[in-house]
Amino acid sequence: MSKAETGAGRGLATCHLCYKLAPVDLHRCPRCGTTLHLRKNDSIQRTLALLFTACLLYIPANMYPVMYTDQLGTETASTILGGVVLLINLDSIPVAAVIFMFSVMVPSGKLMAIFYLVWTAERHSRLNPRQRSIMYRITEFVGKWSMVDVFVVSILVTLVHLNGLLVIRPGIAALCFAGVVIVTMLAAESFDPRLIWDNMEDTNNDG
Amino acid sequence: MNDDIACPGCDLIVNVSALQHGHNASCPRCGHFLTRMRNNSFDRIIAFALAGLIFLALSLFYPFLSFSSSGLESIMTLPQTPGTLWHYGMPEIALVVSAFIIVIPAIVLVMILSLCVPLRQRRHTSLLAPLARGIFTLQAWAMVEVFIIGVIVALTKIAAMATVVIGFSFWAYAIFAVCFIVSVANLDRYQCWQLIEALGVKS
Repeated sequence: MSKAETGAGRGLATCHLCYKLAPVDLHRCPRCGTTLHLRKNDSIQRTLALLFTACLLYIPANMYPVMYTDQLGTETASTILGGVVLLINLDSIPVAAVIFMFSVMVPSGKLMAIFYLVWTAERHSRLNPRQRSIMYRITEFVGKWSMVDVFVVSILVTLVHLNGLLVIRPGIAALCFAGVVIVTMLAAESFDPRLIWDNMEDTNNDG
Repeated sequence: MNDDIACPGCDLIVNVSALQHGHNASCPRCGHFLTRMRNNSFDRIIAFALAGLIFLALSLFYPFLSFSSSGLESIMTLPQTPGTLWHYGMPEIALVVSAFIIVIPAIVLVMILSLCVPLRQRRHTSLLAPLARGIFTLQAWAMVEVFIIGVIVALTKIAAMATVVIGFSFWAYAIFAVCFIVSVANLDRYQCWQLIEALGVKS
């Protein structure tokens, strides 16, 4: 197989906003004025920093109640997992599956996927670059879907305030969870998928 | 015009000059979507953006959901959502939620209109580049379709406790969400910038 020709190999940088291919020594994109880089700046460090932030926020997001239901003066607190169990008990299995998928599987899967991508890029791995590219695109795509739970709590809180009879209040975990989603989206954005492929060119890389 | 693109997903240099109208180009090496050639897409983008803004405006003023239990009734409108969260001492969530579901999508649609109307007439203005930059930066943070799913999940959770009626605003918001997604999906980043550049060179 002939060596793939890349932009960086020619000294050309892609503008991340408008995809213009321009000589990197111009420093600024001639078309839209964005700063040009061959690769995203400090991609690995930034991604890892945001990833650890997300992991830290992920703990209280699951431990603390996401909302409180106050029925005739008795208050019950429910966590994200508790909400899934409640839905299963109400026999709404499909909705429980959706919430479990978006609130439990997706956020934790995303954190692991980004960590795996950073780790393999850092070790100059040459394993299945195309699969890793697809993994990155999936991570980017599902980013915002984990916000579902925060929206559910927001709607319930607004809808249900029948004074004294039934009141739903938001819990601190809703805030942590919104934080996890936003920080993870930023982490996925700061990872540069081109790092996955950069090691394919230097065939004599032994160390 | 130079038709080389370096794939944003893997940096492979790809030439897209042979692309026919109605066809998509993806990177042969990593599969990253590059660009789609479409005829008359500006008409479609403008129509859906305009319709979307109208339906978003409508969805702010009518009942979104109403709910009754043991003879008591409560009605919610969309703008009450951030207000209630604020009242419960969660201003951060109030701001985040209103930004993701109302403010950012509305700004993106207004920017799309301001960008695509001159582009459709092949008119160059100095605002084209900043508008396009704004749109492609902000569009990742609009979560209209996620909010729709959120409403459906909330309805399921509450259905056991009471009778819930879906109001006019919910349907208006759902139509807005569809318009928003169609409008944004039709705006191709690469083609859009190519046109902006071509107009800039001419003027």
